[in-house]
Amino acid sequence: MSLNTEALPKSQEVTASPEAAPQPWEPRIVGFACNWCTYAGADLAGLSRLQYPPSIRLIRVPCSGRVNPQFVIRAFQRGADGVLVAGCHPGDCHYSTGNYFTRRRFLLMQRLLEYMGMDPRRFQARWISGSEGPKFQQTVTQMTEDIKALGPNRKMRDVE
Amino acid sequence: MITEKIRAAAKELLEKGEVETVIGWERGTFWYNSTPVFISKPEQADRLVFDDFCANNLAKYLLDYRNADGKIAVFVKGCDARAITRLIQDNQVKREKVYLIGIPCTGMKEAPKTVSSQDVAGLPLLAKCQSCATPNPVIYDILLGDPVPQKEVGNRFAGVEALEAKGADEKYEHWGKLFSECIRCYACRNVCPACNCRECAFDANGLNWLGKQNNLQENQMFNMTRAMHVAGRCIECGECERVCPMGLPLMDINRKIIKDLNELFGSYDAGLNLEDRPPLGQYKLDDPEKFM
Repeated sequence: MSLNTEALPKSQEVTASPEAAPQPWEPRIVGFACNWCTYAGADLAGLSRLQYPPSIRLIRVPCSGRVNPQFVIRAFQRGADGVLVAGCHPGDCHYSTGNYFTRRRFLLMQRLLEYMGMDPRRFQARWISGSEGPKFQQTVTQMTEDIKALGPNRKMRDVE
Repeated sequence: MITEKIRAAAKELLEKGEVETVIGWERGTFWYNSTPVFISKPEQADRLVFDDFCANNLAKYLLDYRNADGKIAVFVKGCDARAITRLIQDNQVKREKVYLIGIPCTGMKEAPKTVSSQDVAGLPLLAKCQSCATPNPVIYDILLGDPVPQKEVGNRFAGVEALEAKGADEKYEHWGKLFSECIRCYACRNVCPACNCRECAFDANGLNWLGKQNNLQENQMFNMTRAMHVAGRCIECGECERVCPMGLPLMDINRKIIKDLNELFGSYDAGLNLEDRPPLGQYKLDDPEKFM
């Protein structure tokens, strides 16, 4: 649960020299990927040399059911522009039933975020299996485009 | 007169030794507040009262008696009985360790704005009692008095629907204004019968679940997390809203969750039936599939 961006060394954040032209804004998406399906799917996307925007930061979790709604809120607080929770297709969970609970929990969570004034497109959940490298690519590309259109997230955020 | 009945019932239970403690209400410092009382001797039974100001939900006090040897008797109104069901379902109390004395309730009154006149009849009902759907206890061992008819309550989701219709920024501003008033006293959590964890995530210091600073972001975190924690288990007793010192409309959040749960996973009212399982603790294979 260490989403604290302050913990990162400063050198990783500052890459451009001051006189370089300002970089176009790129969204930051935090992706929670289930170890058994989506993480393998992302790996396959990489192995297959599929191009997708570097906007996503993957956090590997044992199961999409591991993802606590508080992780999502904290990610938005600490500067994420979007959050993706991804796991196995229903019926394929390594732990049999984990993602069924994920489905209920995050359907509710997405509606709550919308009620609180967040754009629901900033929070997504997807089922991506270990053989769906292209689907991982498409999901990240699509989400990046959506969030680019929405612009940087200022809501619930406590870091600049 | 209901007060005589509850005194007699408590006295009998304590004299026979059936229960070791009775939890009820007594006359508080002023005529318009009745506070919880815990009695363990028959001669103390005369302290008990039941009037228009017994709004406190006594169910939560059972958590302090989790390890008691004997039985505990509790007076339950309609909303309290749902809270007891909640605690039994959460394995916090055992049904056989509590003796429930049901009291049909016509609603509790608000404390008066001025204390000079003792005009109880003229006082308005508490907000939580105006939309009460269960005036009669759903679970009890004995029932004192006759069941009262259920009032006609309008659409309890009207407030939620009005908020839903607003634009995203408008909603964010609305909640931002409210949450920045929150002083995070945790009174809502302390009174909530669904909040019965031994150690609350908000009290855990080292785990960084919630920052200690009082700012909008942490308040949003607190209120949204609490809503998700009690999702599917909120019994709509409205105690959180009643005890909030800042007067925040917390039931607007809880009702939103209840409305969504009903829409998504079928109708469910927490605390009405011991056998029903909360919606987030179960699943169906054909749940709505919005995610691909």
